[in-house]
Amino acid sequence: MKPLFLALSFLYAGFLLGQNNSVAAGEKLVYTATYNMSGILTDIAEVKMETSEIKTSKSTLLRLKCTAATFKKWDNFFKIRDLYESYVNPKTLTPYLYKRDISEGGYYKFMQYKFNPRTRTVESLKRKKRKDGSTWDENNRLKIGSNTKDFVSTFYYIRTLDIDKAQPGDEQIFTVLFDNEENKVGVKFLAKETINSNLGKIECYKLAISLKNKDLLKDTNDNLLWLSADDNKIPIYATFKIPVGNGELKIKSASGLKN
Amino acid sequence: MKKLFVILGFISAVIAVILAVTPLSNLAIIPILLGFICGALILYLSKGEKQKPKSIQYIFLLLIMALSLTIYKGVFVSNEVGDVEQLEQREEENLEDSKEILEGLEIDDDL
Repeated sequence: MKPLFLALSFLYAGFLLGQNNSVAAGEKLVYTATYNMSGILTDIAEVKMETSEIKTSKSTLLRLKCTAATFKKWDNFFKIRDLYESYVNPKTLTPYLYKRDISEGGYYKFMQYKFNPRTRTVESLKRKKRKDGSTWDENNRLKIGSNTKDFVSTFYYIRTLDIDKAQPGDEQIFTVLFDNEENKVGVKFLAKETINSNLGKIECYKLAISLKNKDLLKDTNDNLLWLSADDNKIPIYATFKIPVGNGELKIKSASGLKN
Repeated sequence: MKKLFVILGFISAVIAVILAVTPLSNLAIIPILLGFICGALILYLSKGEKQKPKSIQYIFLLLIMALSLTIYKGVFVSNEVGDVEQLEQREEENLEDSKEILEGLEIDDDL
């Protein structure tokens, strides 16, 4: 009886803490961002999602890095060179440091969040460029909820969920800190689907992403994400609605997967 | 009626050329097709006339230019990421800065 009780306790704890069994250091996912208007596709940018291990004197963290760069043909019209990164606990994907360093067609913005999960506070730093090239900083101290994460760690955290236990229609709400504001993001499991991709035919979990109480990314099942229905749960394909047409994110290559 | 198709044909041809020059050259296919349809209709409507309107020649000239450019770009221009040196430099700078910040943060392995 005692071993059974112990085993059940461990299982329960693992589920409760949301242990990470899907994301490991050394993973590299490459995507092509495409603009789709009336079925005519135009490739716009390359998106890379990489993970690596970062050692400090006290602990080891996981660096989740996402970069987006427009293709050469777009650079003269609208050059995008974006960097998003989050430093998280490798077991629970709790964020400690988040950085957003974006350069989009001459517009530059830098955001940094230093998370303190114990006190549930965030020290935020916003840096923008003036027209003359000089920068100005804005510092804030924010109070956050116990489960608030940044955008990058939330995206990776979705991969650690036990989606195979979910029923179609089940929805989970996440709190995401973006531009110093806590936003409620809903992730709804719709169905299991097999889709064609550059990696071949892959069985996927089809999820609908929506932003609650905002006009952007409304709850209309237009913003969809397909995660591979295996232990890695890597994003295979995503579609999102933009004012004129649709945007798509298609996987190009995947390496260094955990399972 | 003929005048309407001439105007539509011209607008389509000009839009086709503009799109063909931009990175959205794939989308030029739609105005190219529209332009050719308008051109064909103008030809049909001016059947029997001794002198065909000069506008058809200009419309077809612009459409052929747009079509050639679109085909050329579709065949020869590949998807390559441009200069990312600056981005890589920012990545490195951010990593070094992050390491320093993380050293000063309270990190709890259980959270």
